[in-house]
Amino acid sequence: MRIMCCLKPVPKPGTVKVDPETHTLKREGSDLEMNPYDRYALEAAVTLAEETRGSVVAVSMGPPNAEHILIEAFSYGADEVVLLSDRVFAGADTLATSYVLAKAAETLGPFDLIVCGKVSVDGETAQVGPEVAAWLGWPSVIWVKKIRPAEDGLELVRVIDDSQEKLKVALPLVITIENEANDPRPPSIKRLLKADELEIKVLGAEDLSAEAKYLGLEGSPTRVLDVYTPEYKGERRVLSGPVDQVVDSLVSILKERGLV
Amino acid sequence: MSHQGVCVFGEWTGEAIHQVTYELLNEGRRLADELGVSLSVIFPGPPEAESEAQGLIEFGADRVFMALDPRLANFLDDVYSRIVAKVLEDSKPEIMLFGATAVGQALAPRVAGLLRLGLTAHCIAFEIRQDDRALIQIRPSFGENVMARIISLTKPQMATVRPGVFRPAKRTAGRTGEVIHVELNPELLESKIQVLERQKAPKKTVDLTKAKVIVAGGRGLGNKKVFERLFELAELLKGAVGATRPVCHIGWVSEDHMIGVSGVSVSPKLYMGFGISGALHHVVGLQGIETMVAINIDPEAPLMQRADIAVVGDAREILPRLIQRLKDLKGVEHESRE
Repeated sequence: MRIMCCLKPVPKPGTVKVDPETHTLKREGSDLEMNPYDRYALEAAVTLAEETRGSVVAVSMGPPNAEHILIEAFSYGADEVVLLSDRVFAGADTLATSYVLAKAAETLGPFDLIVCGKVSVDGETAQVGPEVAAWLGWPSVIWVKKIRPAEDGLELVRVIDDSQEKLKVALPLVITIENEANDPRPPSIKRLLKADELEIKVLGAEDLSAEAKYLGLEGSPTRVLDVYTPEYKGERRVLSGPVDQVVDSLVSILKERGLV
Repeated sequence: MSHQGVCVFGEWTGEAIHQVTYELLNEGRRLADELGVSLSVIFPGPPEAESEAQGLIEFGADRVFMALDPRLANFLDDVYSRIVAKVLEDSKPEIMLFGATAVGQALAPRVAGLLRLGLTAHCIAFEIRQDDRALIQIRPSFGENVMARIISLTKPQMATVRPGVFRPAKRTAGRTGEVIHVELNPELLESKIQVLERQKAPKKTVDLTKAKVIVAGGRGLGNKKVFERLFELAELLKGAVGATRPVCHIGWVSEDHMIGVSGVSVSPKLYMGFGISGALHHVVGLQGIETMVAINIDPEAPLMQRADIAVVGDAREILPRLIQRLKDLKGVEHESRE
């Protein structure tokens, strides 16, 4: 099985930089790390490749300073790594991002499977996986808990509210992985020692034969108008002082309100 | 005007209509009235769901697009998205809302991809911009800890809405509307997904949505051992333990306890946040709380600004002291009863 795994570079907590005009994230100049949820996607992809004697191509869309994420992906078992990087990709919302990933799947493919994390910790939309599937015309299943190779496809387990479903889905397919699906392995030292020899392929819009109208800010149908800090009104009591004293005051207020 | 009307997705759980559908109908009705247009529902499901789907009219829908077929008894990502996309292309509403449920989050982005539309996830409020009728979609933004106001340049303007954010629509008996049966041809119903088995999911370890008291912890509690003392406090207060996303990520507690954008929305009478700074990702999950207590060493932390009672101090010290104090109190009550 040939698998593409999408890894999102996200800003390390506390280093988020935002373009003041477009309110989109500036990934350049931020300290980037692999979206934590994508570790489970990569583990699922590598395990499945091992089970089926297949291979994993790890793909990230981001600025050049996201390269170290792909080296990390190699250390976790990816066979090939590709950085999708081009100035014209900047400012992409989920639709424009998923377009680039879908074009990458076409260019680097054919693939049997695309694996993504369940959600990213920065945008937190969970939209890119199913959108990639829609661009490609493939089925998608999100928040997969269990994966098993089956004849002509995969057997998957997913949870919808109170129900757990066992599905059989034909390939090619896009799935997003729940973090209870696996226990990601530590990096391989052997692979890390070989990281110098790793070729990080870098592909831009032209390499992907991507159409300009679908790329970056221009290809993004959503716009952030402005941002604001929510204000909360209401009476506020501030308790400070020695621990015993504040705990006493807190308990008596809660008692007054009939809460303890 | 080429696109007109408000539309919401009607979600079938396999047994009933999902609660979030009624919440969408309430907000959808408000938007439709403000725009002076009609409100529709797109409802795919099995034939036996027909009367319940028809009942949506009494909850504010003017039209129900029904796609009924035995093959639609289970949610099939590919078929459902094709049906919704077809109805949207034919009926051309200006706004389309989905619940941010497991189904809604699988479905909405597929529809967005198929029709090349913008989609805003996890909205918590909407406004209509008067000069051009644009739908302003409000959601928490990135790590900025601010709310973002977002518009879509494509139509229908699509968004998913967090369950529990809007009140459910009320029923008006005898309210009339139109039922339109969606023509389903075999290609539309063809699926690559086969449901082999459907059973009750293993029960979540906790259901925070029904808790009257929630004691929640963040990274300010320092380590897992201190965090786990929250369970003692929860027991004393007959409540449940909540958590922020970072704390779930580092494995102090399971994600069933997560409150916020990727977790659950809660509305207890009493909420206490220990060592929680109050990132919007967490705070949007706190709805209509009667008494909010924040305990933090930093009086400027957003949750401290927002709380009814802001306790300035080290949550790691205050938590054990509070447990002890409440235990003493119970002991006293116990003795006086004897």
